[in-house]
Amino acid sequence: MELALIFISAAIVNNFVLSYFLGICPFVGVSKKISSAVSMGMAVMFVMTITAIVSWLLFHLILVPFKVEILQYVSFILVIASLVQLVEMFIRKISKPLYDTLGIYLPLITTNCAILGLALFAVLKEYSFVESVVFGVGAGAGFTLALVIMAGIREELELANVPKVFQGAGITMIVAGCLALAFMGFAGIT
Amino acid sequence: MKTIVKMIVVLTAISLLSGGLLSSLDSYTAPRIAENRMKQLKAAIAEVLPKYDYYDEFKTKTSVIYVGKLNGVEEPVGLAFKTAGNGFQGKIVMMVGVKPDFSEVIKMRVLEQVETPGLGTKIVVDPSNKENPLWFPEQFEGLILNPAIEVIKNLKPEKDNQIQAIAGATISSQAIANILNEQIAEVKRAYEAR
Amino acid sequence: MARKKNKLTYEFLKGIWDENPVLISLLGLCPALAVTNSATNGLAMSLATGFVLLCSSILISLIRKIIPSQVRIAGFIVIIATFVTIADRYLAAFFPAISKDLGPFVPLIVVNCLILGRQEAFSSKNNIGRSMLDSLGMTTGFLFVLVILGAIRELLGSGTVFGLEIMGDWFNPWMVMILPPGAFFTLGILIGIVNLINNKRA
Repeated sequence: MELALIFISAAIVNNFVLSYFLGICPFVGVSKKISSAVSMGMAVMFVMTITAIVSWLLFHLILVPFKVEILQYVSFILVIASLVQLVEMFIRKISKPLYDTLGIYLPLITTNCAILGLALFAVLKEYSFVESVVFGVGAGAGFTLALVIMAGIREELELANVPKVFQGAGITMIVAGCLALAFMGFAGIT
Repeated sequence: MKTIVKMIVVLTAISLLSGGLLSSLDSYTAPRIAENRMKQLKAAIAEVLPKYDYYDEFKTKTSVIYVGKLNGVEEPVGLAFKTAGNGFQGKIVMMVGVKPDFSEVIKMRVLEQVETPGLGTKIVVDPSNKENPLWFPEQFEGLILNPAIEVIKNLKPEKDNQIQAIAGATISSQAIANILNEQIAEVKRAYEAR
Repeated sequence: MARKKNKLTYEFLKGIWDENPVLISLLGLCPALAVTNSATNGLAMSLATGFVLLCSSILISLIRKIIPSQVRIAGFIVIIATFVTIADRYLAAFFPAISKDLGPFVPLIVVNCLILGRQEAFSSKNNIGRSMLDSLGMTTGFLFVLVILGAIRELLGSGTVFGLEIMGDWFNPWMVMILPPGAFFTLGILIGIVNLINNKRA
C-alpha cells in the first residue's frame, strides 16, 4: 500500500526531526515535560495536515495555472501564519488551560521549519492530493513521536547528574544524536 | 478607521513591491535556470551514449527517450532515458543508455540518490577501491539485458547479464537492478510499439 | 569589559559571542544541523542567510515608523520571504551545484527564527545604521558556527575541509559525522564548550 508507506516513511524512516532536521527549535524548547510535548505535537500535527491540504490546493489550483510559482515561498508562509492564527483562536475558545500550557509556543508554530518544510516537500515530491494529506499526518505523527520520546528522556534526566556545561541545550543535542542513531535503524523498511 | 486604512495601504504596498520584484526576478533568472537544467541533461545523455551528432525526443506516456543519431544515418546509435525507483533510503534516479535493439546496456549513470554514505553511495563512486573507484557503474557497460539483470553476492559474476553487489549494500545494488529491469522493459514496449 | 564602552562596535560584536544566535540564543538550529555536512555548505548557507537578514533589516528599519503594529509580523514575513526567494533563485541560476546541496534549506531561511527574531527585537526599533551593524554581527556569529560545525563534520566524516584533502589515506572516515547523529553530537559538544568558557569567565 503506497499510502501506508508514505505514512511510515514520514513518521519513522525519514522522521522530520531526526532525519531532516526540521522542527528543532520547538524540539529543544517544549520537550521538557511529556504532557506539553503531547499537546504541542497534537497542535503541530493538526496544523501540518491542514497546511498539506491548503498548500497543495494553493500550488496546483492557483500558482501553477497562473505561472507564478515564484510566489511559492511568500504565499506558503502567509498561509501558514494565518492558519496558526486561526488554530490559536480555536484552541483558546475550546480549552483555555491547553491554551495557557502551550503559551508562546503556539504562535511559534509559524516559524516551525517543519511546517513550511512539509509544504515544500509535498510540492517537491509531486505528491497527489491524497498523498500530501497522508504525508502531512505522517510527518506530524513523527514529530510528535520524536518530541514525546525526547520529553520522556528529559524527565528522567532531571534526576540524573548532568554536567553543568551540558545542562539544557547541550545534553538535549546529545540525546537527540542518540535518538537519531536509533532511528537510522529503520532505514530500509520501504 | 484611519488605522485600518493605514494597515491595508501598507500591506498592499509591501505585497505589490514584493510581487513586482519577484516577477522581474523570475524573468531574469528563469532562462538561466532552464539553461542549467538543459546542460545537466545533455551532459547526462552524452555520458551514456556513444558519439552522436544530435538527438530526437520520443515521448512515451511515462518518460522521454532521447534517440541519439549521427548526421545522415537513419539507424540511431543508442537510446537514452531516465529511470527512477526506490532505493534503500530514498529515490534513485539513473540515466541509462541502451542499444537500439534493447539487447544490452551501453552505459549507466546515477543522477540522484540518497543512499547510506560510505556504503550505498558506492553505486556512484567507491573511494575505498583504490584501483577502480567506478567499478560498480562500469559493470553495466555492455551488460546483457536478456535474460534480466541479476545481482550476485560475494562472487565474481560469470554470465553477461550478472553484476556483483556492493558488499554491505546489497539492497542498494539490488534496487538498481530491479529499477533497470522493470523500466527498460517498459520503455522497450512503448518504443517498439511506435 | 572594554568592548561595552564603545556602544556602536558592541552592536556588531555581540552577535559573535555574547549573543551568538546559535550557541547562546539557540536560534537557527535547523540549518545549523542540516547543511553543515561540509564547510563549503555551511559557508554558503550563512552567506545566504546573512543576505536575507541584512536586506530585510535595512528595509524594515526604513519603514519602521510607517508600518502599523498589528500588521508588522505579516509585513516582516512578506519582506523576508521575498528576499529568500531572491537568494534561492540567484543560487539556482548562478551556482546550481551549491543550490542542489543546500536544497530545501534555502527557502527554509524564511522561518529561521534568527531573522524574524532580529527584526522584531531590533530592526523595527532602531535606525538603519544600528540595524545594519546588528545584522552583520549576527551573520558573522552565525557564519562562525556554521563553518566550524561544517569543517569539523567534513574533516571527521570525509577527511577533507572545503573539499581539500587534509587527512591522508590512513584515516578511515567516521561516516556518522555526515549523518544526522553526528550533527547533533557535534553541536551539543560545541554548546558545552561555549558554556564552559562562559562559566569560567563569570
